[in-house]
This record gives sequence, structure tokens and C-alpha cells, in this order.
Amino acid sequence: MAATLVAALAVTTAAACGDSGTGSGDETKVGPATLRFSWWGNAERAELMQKAIDLFQQKNPEIKVTPSFQEFEAYWQKMATETAGGNAPDVLQMDFAYIREYSDRKALYDLKKQDGKNLDLGDLLPGLKGAGEIDGKLYGVPVGGNTWGYIYNPALFTQAGIAEPKEGWTWDDYRKAMATITEKTGVHGGGNYVGSYYNLELQLRQEGGLLYTEDGKLGFDKARLAKFFGEGKQLVDAKSALPVEKGVQIKPAHALESDLIAGDLGWDNFMARYDKGAKAELKLGPVPNDHADKQGQYLKPSMLLSVSQKSEHPAAAAKLVSFMVNDPEVGKIFGANRGLPPTNAQRAAAQLEGPLAAVAAYEEGLKDKFGKTPPAPPKGAGTLEQAFIRIAEELQYGRISVDEAVNQFFTEAEETLGS
Amino acid sequence: MSKATMTADRDAAVRTTGSTGPRKRARLPGDGMAGYLFLSPWLIGILLLTLGPMVTSLYLSFTDYDLFNSPTWIGLENYEKMFSDPRWLRSVQVTAVYVVLAVPIKLAAALAVAMLLNSKRRGQGFYRAAFYGPSLIGGSVSVAIVWKMMFSDDSVVDKLLLGVGIDTGGWAGNPDYSVMMLVLLAVWQLGAPMVIFLAGLKQVPRELYEAAEVDGAGRWRRFRSITLPMISSVVFFNLLLETINSFQVFTSAYVVGGPNGQPAGSTLFYTIYLFDRGFGDYRMGYASAMAWMLLLGVGLVTVFLFRTARGWVFYSGDSGDKR
Amino acid sequence: MRQRVAAPGKASGTDRVRSVAWHVGVLLLLAVVLYPIVWVLAATFKPSDDIVGSLELLPSEVTTANYDRLFDDVMGVGIGQFFWNSAVLAVLSVVGTVASSALAAYAFGRLRFRGRTVMFGIMISTLLLPFHVLIIPQYIVFQNLDLVDTYVPLLAGKFLASEAFFIFLIVQFIRNLPRELDESAKIDGANHWRVFWDIILPLCRPALITTAIFTFIWSWNDFFGPLIYLSTPDKYPLPLALQLFIDETSGSDFGALMAMSMLALVPVILFFLFFQRFLVEGVSTQGLKG
Repeated sequence: MAATLVAALAVTTAAACGDSGTGSGDETKVGPATLRFSWWGNAERAELMQKAIDLFQQKNPEIKVTPSFQEFEAYWQKMATETAGGNAPDVLQMDFAYIREYSDRKALYDLKKQDGKNLDLGDLLPGLKGAGEIDGKLYGVPVGGNTWGYIYNPALFTQAGIAEPKEGWTWDDYRKAMATITEKTGVHGGGNYVGSYYNLELQLRQEGGLLYTEDGKLGFDKARLAKFFGEGKQLVDAKSALPVEKGVQIKPAHALESDLIAGDLGWDNFMARYDKGAKAELKLGPVPNDHADKQGQYLKPSMLLSVSQKSEHPAAAAKLVSFMVNDPEVGKIFGANRGLPPTNAQRAAAQLEGPLAAVAAYEEGLKDKFGKTPPAPPKGAGTLEQAFIRIAEELQYGRISVDEAVNQFFTEAEETLGS
Repeated sequence: MSKATMTADRDAAVRTTGSTGPRKRARLPGDGMAGYLFLSPWLIGILLLTLGPMVTSLYLSFTDYDLFNSPTWIGLENYEKMFSDPRWLRSVQVTAVYVVLAVPIKLAAALAVAMLLNSKRRGQGFYRAAFYGPSLIGGSVSVAIVWKMMFSDDSVVDKLLLGVGIDTGGWAGNPDYSVMMLVLLAVWQLGAPMVIFLAGLKQVPRELYEAAEVDGAGRWRRFRSITLPMISSVVFFNLLLETINSFQVFTSAYVVGGPNGQPAGSTLFYTIYLFDRGFGDYRMGYASAMAWMLLLGVGLVTVFLFRTARGWVFYSGDSGDKR
Repeated sequence: MRQRVAAPGKASGTDRVRSVAWHVGVLLLLAVVLYPIVWVLAATFKPSDDIVGSLELLPSEVTTANYDRLFDDVMGVGIGQFFWNSAVLAVLSVVGTVASSALAAYAFGRLRFRGRTVMFGIMISTLLLPFHVLIIPQYIVFQNLDLVDTYVPLLAGKFLASEAFFIFLIVQFIRNLPRELDESAKIDGANHWRVFWDIILPLCRPALITTAIFTFIWSWNDFFGPLIYLSTPDKYPLPLALQLFIDETSGSDFGALMAMSMLALVPVILFFLFFQRFLVEGVSTQGLKG
């Protein structure tokens, strides 16, 4: 029994290493097929997906789509099990942080083979072109994009007697604003600055660097991390940032949703979520920057669609992906649910209101300043981000010093990226 | 049955413990086949569903297995790595503290409530359901939210503590108290051992109490010399199972502390770290090794408990035969 | 305990005082124990955004919107379907577990056969391994049998006595039953099946009821098994449906989540209330023992 199982583990994975599951015949010919399609999301997204799938089936009567969905964490547990068991769905929603994890392990289909045939990539926004491409192969197509921004409560800025953030404010301005607001209004100026990996990434990019180099190594050294942790720790010690124990207590809510802070750096499309929860009116503003020539921001694929290497119907699967990315009706259905739509046609079709319109305007304004989307993070990036969050938390609790935090992170990075 | 005969029975049970006298084989000669027949569903299950995966996980513990590629044999490396892995060491420490605190407190509370509810009073069904209620909601996100709320800064508990001069700033965000918060969560969900204690108390023949009362034995005395010995098999069951389960505490801790064991790693329980390694970092080989290390550790505790049980666990039906 | 000992018909004034004191004491204890549940219940009537991080017990404005949202279909699947699926799984689990565990427990508790000690040890050891490392090998077994996305993987173990917890629980009860009972039956010519069915089963009813209650609740609350094995939304049981309301990336609806947890509690409470009566009157062994 056990021997059979071990053999099964080997066979399942060996099969995954072979070429496409179709074997013989034309890989690009679409025939009758039943596609399993999995994504993460809540009931609201499921509802929208159902509409989009219905539309797809209407236009492609020979293809049937069977959906499956879970919330984010559960989704990845299920996906890992199904992939290990050789039973991955045909089309799966992919996260930028996991795409290399899955493609390096030969779990994903190279969509280049379908490009121009069943897959149309021509209309993708410039910033999203090439995202999902790894070593010349295409493992995922973005279905939405977002970017780092500053979400804040303007009333508190006014109350503290300081100007609202505007283009060109520096990191020093940012820290001063946090301190002033805390002092003048009694509301903490900022959120968990030091625990955000993407704050570090933004600063690195503004300095002309990268979080991860092209060959999958860390794009910064110990001194740079020490600077980041040190500055963050000062904010914590000065109580300009929300105390860590408060942040832990209100989880899973975010401090902005609960009106506990004046502003925070984060993904711009979270604006909608925070705005819904917060009593105060929120605004989206520019990120701080010390280097006027480099904005640092880029359009990140908030989620992608991938096709499983083991899919028996890659052509039909590609067709579904293409439909989800290009069809204007789909763009209208989803609005900004998947992040802002990935193609011009869908952006034009999407009717965005309230905070989402603000997000769209924000991204529109940045269009020409966006930098190149970085290569997909290396295998283990997800683990490392978790390590960063954990170590930063211990730092905020004062359980470790800045130097210890830096050393711990580098030890873990070596173990995670080295192998 | 008087107290005297009971003690005699118990002595007999103790005497025959572990004995493999020829007497045993002489009785009930036909047991053999019947045993396997009665056991057949379990035998099929263990062979088909359980043993295979168990042995596979043992094999995987000696490999580097990332879920996607075939496992590669690396011998003892996973096991060696554990001892220099600070997070593993932390998880062992956190779990040990938890087991030592949660098991006795939860069992004592469960027994007390069971005894309180083991009488004929009006509304007994309601009371039992009410005390069982917290266990019914299980380990859902709702529990995580309400539990953190209970132990937050300025919460009811925090105000009570402040009232007696203890300022913790809320247990939920304080790494020094977060394990205690989860211990209390376990105690709050004492339904399972409570019901088992109740079922055990039902097995105690009433006549014993009546006889004892006639002898003039007080409440504590009756508890010590009748209740405890008579439900000792159930006490043992609960002790063993709560110990095993506490070593494997997962769901409630996961919804409260997440994969990182928030705050500051103070709720990084063994199985949470194991799960994070297996499904978060895709190091299933390492996770499997951790699982077998846990099996070894808890196995030793289990054997120890079985050993000591011979001295204090009494089975009325075992006067002649003991495993 | 106290009450039992008192002779019937001797309801004196002190007894009444004691009874009142008992009720007051238990109710006070319950108030503490149930406070969090009452909080959750009250929270289901708060606007969804006011729930997390809120310390107040009572809602500042009462709304039933959280419950209303539960009755919207999700991809054509209604809330009734989730309840039905959970009920099917739970009832079949109870039947399978009680039957198969009782059989195995009788063998371990009463019969002697070669390999018993070793098998008992193996059984206990299945309790010791965290199930997370068994998921993938088990998944591969069911995947090769083409049984994924059916209820078979979730129920097979129940009918094959895979839950050592219950076998061991019933064993502990069987071993507490006086042996003279089955031996005198044997002398009267009863075979093992008759002894098991007529004598052992009725006598360990508290253990069987306990098994039934736990199995029902555990199956009702099981999240990981259904997550791994079920893919089609119309097969989802309640715990999978609960996560429809939370997703950190697309937003969480805590109001609906809590409302759903409260609704999901109702059947289990009813199940418990119904079956716990059988715990009340445990069978006294006195008459049989003679």
C-alpha cells in the first residue's frame, strides 16, 4: 500500500514533468471540453464569476465550465493538495507571489503556445504586458492590476494643521506628518509601516533597485534593511505608528477600516474595502518619494489566470482565459472586483463609482510614471514575505533589536532562496 | 457491592495487570475468529485508509518533498535540522507550556461541571446544552473574533483585571499572555470531556453512594473513594485524549494566531508550524519529519500514562482478564 | 449526587432552598460561560462594519440585514442546500461511526485473539500523528479510485472505524461492565453476536450516545476534509459555505459570517438536546448484577 502510494507520488509528478497533457493532435484546436475552473474569493466574486461563465458558455456552447472557489488561504491549501495529487483544475486563479513556485515545479502550461490562436494578449495595458512571463514562457495572464498608494483621512490632516500629501512629498515629510498628527489629534498617524515588505520594495525601486534581482536573489543588503527597520522602529517608539498590540487585537480588520489611524501605505484597490468600513471619508494620495526622477510604483498583476500543465484541453482553457481578460461584458460585470481591469477594452467598459472611480483616476494619473513590472518573485518569496512580517512584528514588540531582526531575516532568506 | 469488595476487586485488577497466566487461554476458546470478524471494518479501514498514508508519511520524512516533484531521499537531514531550527524549538516550548496548563485545568473544570449537572433537577437538558454550547461553535472565525474581543484592551476581562490591579493592556495583543488566552479558550470549550464524564458518572451504581451514606461518609470522602475510582477508566480516557489533543492543538490557535503564531510567535504551536512548513512553504518532507517526531514524543507520554494507569485505573469488568 | 441519595418523598424545606441555590449558582456560572456567545448573537444584529474590534455587547442600531444576506443564492446554491448537505454528511457519519466503532470496541474490550495488543497499539498510534501529513497520501488514494468530489472520502473512514477516539471510548466503557453478565449468557448458549447485541450494546448506551453526539458535531464542523475533497459548490457543507463571507483579498462580511455561524448552531443544539436525554438515565447495572 505504502509502496504504491510512493510510486503514485512519483508517477503523478513525473507525468507533470512531461509535455502537455494532450499528447497527440493539435494543441490549439478547440473541441468539446469540460473545464474545471478554480478561484479564490467571496460570495460576491462567485456571483460575478457565474455571470461571466454563463456568458462564456453561451458564446462557446461546446465548452462547459465547472466552477470551484474558496477563500484565499484555503484555496492555496486545496491547490497544493490537488496539484500534488495530479488533479489540478484546468484553469486556476494565480497570485503573483506564487506563479514561480508553481511554474518552476512544472505545474503550469506555457500559454505562449496558444498566443494569437485562442489567446489574445494585444489589448493588455502596457504595464501588465509581460507579467506572468518567466524565462520566455507565459504561465499566467493578468486579470487585474493594482499599485501601491497612500490612503488617508484628510480631516485629520486638516485638524493637525498640515497640508494634505501632494506629489513630491518626501519620506521625511511622511514621518513628520505622522508624528504631527499623532501629537495634535491623538489619533495614530500611521499603520504598520515597518511590517510592510512593499514599503521596502517601493523605497528600493525609488533608489533604482529591486526587491529581488533578475536571478532571484535579494536586491538589498543588510545595511539597507537595517536602515529600513531602524526608521520603522523609531516610528513605533515615538508612537507615531499604531502600536503593534492594537493591530493584532483588531485583526482581521485593518486599522483604517476601524478609524484608528490617519493614513497608511497599501494597495490602491483596498481603498474600496477601507472606505466601506471607515466612518471617515478616505482619500487616495501619492506615495512619498525622495527621488523625483523615479516614482517607484509599478502596475502589479493583482491576480492572474493560469492553465494547468495537466489540462487535457489547453486550447479551450486558453479560450476561457482570453475571454476573461478581453471581453468588454466581463469587464463590465467585474468592475474592479479583480483589481482594475487588465485590458483597455475592459477598462472602458467597466463602470466604476465612488472609491473605485478614485482608484481608476489615480492609476490613470500614474500611467506614464509606472516603472517596469519586476520579474515574478522567486520560489519561496511567499515564505520570505511571511518571515519579514513575523520578524518585523517581533521588532515592534521589542523582543529583538534591529540588528537581530536583520540577521534573522538574512538567515531565513539564505535558507529559503538558497535551496 | 460494598466498599470492601470493591477494594478487593481493585486489588485483583492490579494484581493481574500485565499477567499472562495460562488461565487466560483456557477460557472462551472460540474468541479468535470472532475477534477478527468484529474487527473487520477497522481492519479494512486501517489497511486501506490509514496505514498506507502513515507509512508514506514516514518515508517522506526522510526525503525532500515539495509536493510537486518526486521526493528525493535525504536520510536523517530533516530530523537533524529540527534541533537547530529556532522556530521548531519555540513551537516545542509553546506547546509544552500549553499542554501543562490546558490539560489539568480543562479536565478539572469539565469534571466539576459534569458533577454539578449529574443530578435530577429541572432544566437539566438546557443546562447541559448551555455548557456544551461553546464547544458547538468549534474553531470558526467567529470564535477568533469574539475571543480576541473578550481579551482586548478595555474589554470586560481587561477591566476586571484592572479592577484587581493587573494591567496587561489586553491579553490578545500581549505575547506574555496569549497562550493563557488560548488555554482559557480550551477550558471554555470543555463540552467533550464534560459529556464523557457525565456518561461515566451514569455507570456508577447508586447503591454504592447509599451504602457509603449509611456508613457516614462525607461528600469529599464519597468523591474520593467511590466516584473517582468508579470513573477512573473515564478519567484516564479523558486525560489521555486531552493530552494527545492538546499536543496537536490546531484549529482554535490557527484562527486566533494565524500561521505565524501571532503575537510575536507566542502562539506558534507545533502543528501550526508543521502546517505552515507543509502547506505554506511546501516542505512536506520536513513537515512529515516533524509529525513523526511529535508521534515519538506524544507516544512516550502515552506509554507513560498507560503505565501509571495500571496503578489507579480500575475496570469492574476486568477482574479476570487484562490486556 | 446529593439529590439521588435523598429518599423520595422527603422534599423538605432545606431541599427546596438547596435547589434554588443550585439553580442560582449554575445560572451565574452560565452567565460567564455564555457571555461570548451572547455577544456573537448580539453582533449578528449589528451593522457588519461595527463588529470587529467592537467591545459593546448590545448593538447601537439593530438590523436584520446580516440574516437577509444569507438567503441570497451563491451561484445558484441556496442556504438550504448547504444545511441539507451538512445534515446528510452528519447523519451518515453518525450511523457509520457508531456501528463500526462499537464492533471494533467489543473485539478490543472483550475478545481475545492473536495480535490484539499490537493492533490496539496501532489503533492508539493513529491518534498521535497530525492529520496534515496524511492528507496528501490519502488524497492520492481517493484520487486513484476516482472518488474525489464525492462524499465517499468523507464517509469511508466513518464506516471503517478510522476514528480511534471512539473505539477507545467504547472500550473503556465495555471494560467497566461486569464480565459475569456475558459469561452467564454464554453458559445459556448465546454466541458472540448475541452477547454483543443483547448485553453489551444496551449497557454501554451512554458511550454510544456520546459517540453519536460527538460524531454529529465534528462532522457538522469539519472544514478541512470537505475543503480538500469537494470542489462543486452544490456539494459544499456549511463550514465551506461559511468561508464565502470571508476573503482577505476581496473583503469580508463579518455580519453575515456571524449570522451564519449562529444559524448553523441551531441544528447541533437540537441534536444535542434530543440525544442528551439518553445520557440522563444511564442503565444501572445493579439489577443485572444480582
